[in-house]
Amino acid sequence: MNTSKGRTAFCFPGQLQDKPMLEEAPLLREDPHFKELLKRASNQTKFNLLNFSFEREEKEEDFSLKLQISTYLLSMVHFYRLRAAGWTPDIFAEHSMGIYAALAASEVISFEEGLFITEAIGRLLKREGTIHRGAMANIIGLPLEEVQKICQALNGFHLSIANYNGSMHFVLSGEEEGVEKALSLALSRKAISATRLAFNTALHSPSLYSLREEIMEILKNIKMQPLKVPILNHWTIKPLRREEIKDFLSQEIGRPVYWVRCVEKLLQEGFIQFIEVGHEITLTKLMRWIDREAEAFSAGDHLPL
Amino acid sequence: MVGLNDHLIEKIKQLIIQRLKLMDMTPEMIETDAPLFGEGLGLDSIDALELVLGLEKEFGVIIPDAEVGKKVFQSVRTMAQYVLEHEGTA
Repeated sequence: MNTSKGRTAFCFPGQLQDKPMLEEAPLLREDPHFKELLKRASNQTKFNLLNFSFEREEKEEDFSLKLQISTYLLSMVHFYRLRAAGWTPDIFAEHSMGIYAALAASEVISFEEGLFITEAIGRLLKREGTIHRGAMANIIGLPLEEVQKICQALNGFHLSIANYNGSMHFVLSGEEEGVEKALSLALSRKAISATRLAFNTALHSPSLYSLREEIMEILKNIKMQPLKVPILNHWTIKPLRREEIKDFLSQEIGRPVYWVRCVEKLLQEGFIQFIEVGHEITLTKLMRWIDREAEAFSAGDHLPL
Repeated sequence: MVGLNDHLIEKIKQLIIQRLKLMDMTPEMIETDAPLFGEGLGLDSIDALELVLGLEKEFGVIIPDAEVGKKVFQSVRTMAQYVLEHEGTA
């Protein structure tokens, strides 16, 4: 059964911002895809999604790392649920660390390889966060020029725009002290909301560009298979080519996410359905701002169990 | 100017449903005094931006900053009260 009514984009969200409330989702916990993937993930990483903890966790493991693994797992669970329900994607779009699940769903890498990459890069970011403490902040209600002015005003804290999520919605990344100052400045300049995100690294900022060789090392034994479903590269706004995937992965944590540009391209190409392959409704809400008429929903929120 | 009556309350609830595309909800399902954010209707800051724009378009009311927004978006009733006091001032 194909329940799609037109060209459909599956959208893989970036890192969750909070522990997933799985105790409130008893039906999902009984889902066969959920059970199967959790078991495989637990065997490989010793991370138990239901407990939101690693096996024999002596001291509290990094919250961001747990969120990153949880995000990957839940995206893969919802991808298989969508497929089982008859949804067929024409293209994948991905936001930030959603790329790992998008690659696994496109069968470029296996589920286990995607999990390995997620955890390995997550641990690299954790280490980076202890050496160079960074932060990220969500700024809502200011136009691009104002956000750029804030970055310029705080020159010296290596602030940059990490996500272009909407015409009035940006994420800033940089040194922790600079991000804190940016929050105050944004509120004083009449932002509707300015809040810290659950990161202790300056993700998607040039300061992480230096990690690309270590990421290439993580990827060196992984063979990238042909893409079963194209993935839109949000830098070039063209489908990601198989031969550029490793470079993309090694650079993407040091470069911004151009989400608006990505969605606008898909709208121009005639995509009418946008399905968030994740547990929350983050990208679905961003879609509402970019194009109110587009049909968008999240598998985690909307797909019957 | 509309009074703080059932009609205005209903209009605010419809605005929330339309702006946030809560198509599975009806105005009756939104409690007038329940918190809109967090534990209540579960809205977040992205939703707040939609509501700011909605209030401006529908009632000509401006939310000037986050501090005012926090007070206005406590509940449907506080939104209605703000509209009543500021309607047409945009």
